[in-house]
Amino acid sequence: MTTMFSTAFRPLGSDRIDPFLVVLWIALIAIALIWVAPIIFIVFTSLKTNADVMGTGAFTPPPELFTQNYPDAWQRGNFATRFANSVIITLVKVPVGLMLSAMAAYALARITLKGKKLLLLLVLFGTMIPFQVMLAPLFTLVNSMGLLNTRLGLFLPYIAFGVPYQVFVLHGFFKEVPHELSEAALMDGASHFTIFRRIFLPISLPILAALLILDFVSTWNEFAMALVLLLDSKMWTLPLSLMVFQGEFGSEYGPLNAAIVTTVLPAVIVYLIFQRYFVGGLTSGAVKG
Amino acid sequence: MADQVYQVVSARTASDPAEGFSWRGAWHAPLTQAWLLLGPAMLIYAVFALYPMVDTFVLSFQTWNGLTPHRGFAGLDNYAFIFNDDPVFWLALRNTVIWTFLAVSIPPLIGFGLALAVNQQIPGRNAMRAIFYLPVILAPIAVATMWKWMYDPFFGLFNQLLTSAGLQGLIKDWLGDRQVALYSVFGAYVWQHVGFSMVLFLAGLQGVNQTLVEAARIDGANRYQVFQHVTLPAMSTSITIVLVLSLIQSLKAFDIVYGMTLGGPAQSTQMLALWAFTQSMQIHDFGRGSAVAVVLLLITLAIVVPYMLWRMKREEGQG
Repeated sequence: MTTMFSTAFRPLGSDRIDPFLVVLWIALIAIALIWVAPIIFIVFTSLKTNADVMGTGAFTPPPELFTQNYPDAWQRGNFATRFANSVIITLVKVPVGLMLSAMAAYALARITLKGKKLLLLLVLFGTMIPFQVMLAPLFTLVNSMGLLNTRLGLFLPYIAFGVPYQVFVLHGFFKEVPHELSEAALMDGASHFTIFRRIFLPISLPILAALLILDFVSTWNEFAMALVLLLDSKMWTLPLSLMVFQGEFGSEYGPLNAAIVTTVLPAVIVYLIFQRYFVGGLTSGAVKG
Repeated sequence: MADQVYQVVSARTASDPAEGFSWRGAWHAPLTQAWLLLGPAMLIYAVFALYPMVDTFVLSFQTWNGLTPHRGFAGLDNYAFIFNDDPVFWLALRNTVIWTFLAVSIPPLIGFGLALAVNQQIPGRNAMRAIFYLPVILAPIAVATMWKWMYDPFFGLFNQLLTSAGLQGLIKDWLGDRQVALYSVFGAYVWQHVGFSMVLFLAGLQGVNQTLVEAARIDGANRYQVFQHVTLPAMSTSITIVLVLSLIQSLKAFDIVYGMTLGGPAQSTQMLALWAFTQSMQIHDFGRGSAVAVVLLLITLAIVVPYMLWRMKREEGQG
């Protein structure tokens, strides 16, 4: 703490306080306040009765904490089932998808293979193609397999659209691992599976963690594919039920905002705990790659 | 370090029971191993991502309602329809162009400014980074619902603030007014996406040579000169990457529009991705929907392909 303040407002290599930085700091605080304002507004509304929503100011804290909105939203939005659906999909898809991506990335980075360049190009290409463009053919495909309204039918496209970025990032990482590490083990008769499992997985834990967390959030948040592939309300995930909730109870502000908070809370908690990994996962693909 | 890891590994593999397998030869053929490792991911990727993309092109030349088994050949009819007889398509294209233009200029610009600012020696900069990045991790559909409520004409945040500031004249039905709805939706988009640009720029700023900055300072360069001659040139790669990623993201804008306006009022916030979806999944005209999707796909490819070539060249240059 003391070191932080002894260098605060002082440009690199200078020990005098820079007035420009003080002004900048005040401006930044103002912007940061604007940035959190919507979140404060939503949380406050979620804890107010409808009468208080209409009667008190936007940033007035709830006169009394009306927590009833949460069980209310939970029940009316049928969130118990849908929360469980989201949890199941996310907890299965994220680790399985990442494992498949890591395996593929290893093969592309460390095994001599004809047509490797083409495969890599195909993967890189996939990181930039918007699946929003393909919702209708995706529906057609999943429907023709008889997988509409099934977890598997959502799970497979989720993996397909998660693979490119993860393979791309992990390939970049695996490529840089010193060759002595795997070559010696290969000479010793170890298979690529062993090398992958015993050497590459352990040393790439930080980047795997970063990708895992990033993918957790995007899977948890995914809406468009679920909208097209899950027509049965029993299978809906949280983002879908929030959309429906908004349509049905749009003017019941308390429960509506409680529903918003419930939907985003898991992602926010994961973000706050693993913040460091987030930035790592995001930038390792975009900037260093 | 490397030797240690290797010793641990070789000690373990020596006692691995798999070593004694009879079809060990085949198992150990690098090609078999490569395909066993690559196969699952590539197969799923090919079937559920590449095939639908190809099918988009195929469908755009067919007539199909998505239900009957038969898909009829339509030639260029779908394209002729969307170009000549579908006013919504042109509106969606126009909105997509406006949206994209705004999305590659405003969030990256704010993000760049914030990145420069939070990169300085100021207290609480980590907390500020966390705040600016927080909206990025929220579900777009939740952001849409949040902002829809903030734009509520009666009790929403904006009209409340305007009323308390005595600016009743500026009160609007933010999402119901055709003139402003697109920009209102874009406001939510800016809030959500600035943090993304900021984080990428911050990563880029770590690559700016601090010795060079200090040297320029000692030589008497002022803050702006350092920025212009040292920081900015070193950031050119980051800037390109952020612009391209912002552009691609903006073309994909779907959830946030769907959640806030469904393309309305009177199609004033309609965009290509959403219109392709609406034509196929709601009007049940998969041919026309796919023709719209192909237009969007071609626009995307026109940006993605040159970008990929540029990146590949850069990587090869690096070694």
